[in-house]
Amino acid sequence: MRTIKNVFRRKMRAALTISGIMIGVFALIVMGAMAEKITLLVDGGTKFYGDKVTMTAGNGGGMSLGTEPLSTKTVKDVEKVEGVARASASIMLLQDTKGASVNMGIPPMIGGIDGRGKAFESFKITFAEGRDIKAGENGVAVVGADMVKKLNAKVGGNIKLRGETFKVVGIMDKTLTAPDSEVVVSMHDIQKLYVKQLPVMLRDKVDPNTVATGLTIYIEKGQNPETVAKRINKQFPNFTATGPKAFQEQVASSTKIFTSIIFGIALISLLVGGLSVVNTMTMAVTERTREIGIRKAIGATSKAIVRQFLAESAVISLSGGLLGLLFGAGFVAMANSGNTGTPLFLVTFRLVAGSLSFALILGLLSGLYPSYHAARMNPVTALRYE
Amino acid sequence: MTLIIEGKNLSKRYELGKNNHVHALRGIEIRIEQGEMVAVMGASGSGKSTVMHILGCLDKPDKGEVYIGGRRADTLVNGHLARLRSREIGFIFQGFNLVPTMSAAENVALAAEYAGHSRREAAKMAEDALRIVGLGDRLRHSPSELSGGQQQRVAIARAMVNKPGVILGDEPTGDLDSATSREIIDIMRDINLKTGTTFVLVTHNPEVGQACDRIITMQDGLVISDERADVKEDSELIA
Repeated sequence: MRTIKNVFRRKMRAALTISGIMIGVFALIVMGAMAEKITLLVDGGTKFYGDKVTMTAGNGGGMSLGTEPLSTKTVKDVEKVEGVARASASIMLLQDTKGASVNMGIPPMIGGIDGRGKAFESFKITFAEGRDIKAGENGVAVVGADMVKKLNAKVGGNIKLRGETFKVVGIMDKTLTAPDSEVVVSMHDIQKLYVKQLPVMLRDKVDPNTVATGLTIYIEKGQNPETVAKRINKQFPNFTATGPKAFQEQVASSTKIFTSIIFGIALISLLVGGLSVVNTMTMAVTERTREIGIRKAIGATSKAIVRQFLAESAVISLSGGLLGLLFGAGFVAMANSGNTGTPLFLVTFRLVAGSLSFALILGLLSGLYPSYHAARMNPVTALRYE
Repeated sequence: MTLIIEGKNLSKRYELGKNNHVHALRGIEIRIEQGEMVAVMGASGSGKSTVMHILGCLDKPDKGEVYIGGRRADTLVNGHLARLRSREIGFIFQGFNLVPTMSAAENVALAAEYAGHSRREAAKMAEDALRIVGLGDRLRHSPSELSGGQQQRVAIARAMVNKPGVILGDEPTGDLDSATSREIIDIMRDINLKTGTTFVLVTHNPEVGQACDRIITMQDGLVISDERADVKEDSELIA
């Protein structure tokens, strides 16, 4: 209580210093929340691609969206390759045919999988409501957590995807990665949607019952996915098979740089806030030189003086930290609710704890010099100070 | 009578710049007995404030020894000096020197807290001390809401809250009008007589001197006279 009273003795100065810390923490929370979201998306991807090989038509590189046709017939052939346990065909389409809304991360997708790989999949999807699509069931859809609002989806209700109506049978639990922005339909339905969007000239050349855009290949235990991918590429020169390394190299490492830059900027702004705490505390010490003299005269030890000024800088930095957290979290909530797709930001516990402790540590460090200076003062000199 | 404060051969020199220094004290001897009320008088620059700072363990002599309650004090480290100041010595200053953001009670309690009492105990002790100086109804007032005399009474309460053996005053009536000065002198004398607390008061005010048992007069860093009131009265009679 006394410490708080002392801090707010100079209201304007305290408010300005607290604002400095607040802006720093605000930046750290908002930018950190963006980085956290991206990190989680990438972690999800790393986990998903971690133990399997993906295969797309053409040989133009691994990370294309896989929209060039492939055939479900390839599945059987690929399964004959040494080291392959199972292959599963799938089609991925963008939900929005037009340019789509502003969205970082993964755009909303429609996916269809033949279900052959279910037993082999280590990335398990669970349901918040309803159920998964049954084998052979068509005209139904399972909706990702972040798509519920965008599509106004309810279990038992209908949604429209690329002009077709689907009955929602399930809503997936939040995974914090790719499936959150997906709607899954049966393989048969996605094949129909896929053919429908092809240019008329190409439609006749594609068999709607076998078309696929990607293959997920599950690897036998003890086999190296990269070696298996190489083997597949050798045997299927028209297709491209990529192992988990490609995702790591192309996505994970570049996002790491991106998140480091984001955190760097936020930390710099917080450091600037920290310097203003040093300034405020130094001025407070100078202004209160006489008071320090009085306190020492009536028996305060140097430790007590250090404790007093450190407590004051802790109050400043913690108030700034909490306000920054409040505004940051508020901003994140507003930005996320304004965006109907995948949320841009994710405020995690470690981000909150990290930002607050960083602000506190910074405040304490900033208060250290002024309080040490105050504690060392000779009481007689301090008492004479005007 | 037992000695409560003893200064042996105290010297202090202040450096003011290159080849410029002031001999504030030039090897003085000073002995204060328990229960005495002593005035230290002299012109500005005579060294009386320096002697108070050294006897109060706020400053250290360049040469000489200081004993408080029979124990050597000038060789103690800062932490022990702080403890000594909080428990054995009380201070009253000319400018009252209260912490402006704290209430009267909080100012007094602060000294008790520094002496190691809990907040609760300290608050109770502060209330009692303020009642003794007649400010029982001003506990929650901040210094700016109190008159000069009242502020000095808070300072007296703060000085006595830990029941120290000695209270040192640096011009305790310096900022007060004569009526208020007399009030403050009476309060100090009252405490001195009732509790046996020793008072050493550095002052210009002859009224303070008159109220004391003994007057030490200083000039240029030396003690030039040390008179007891009874002796003084006798010598006046003879004259």
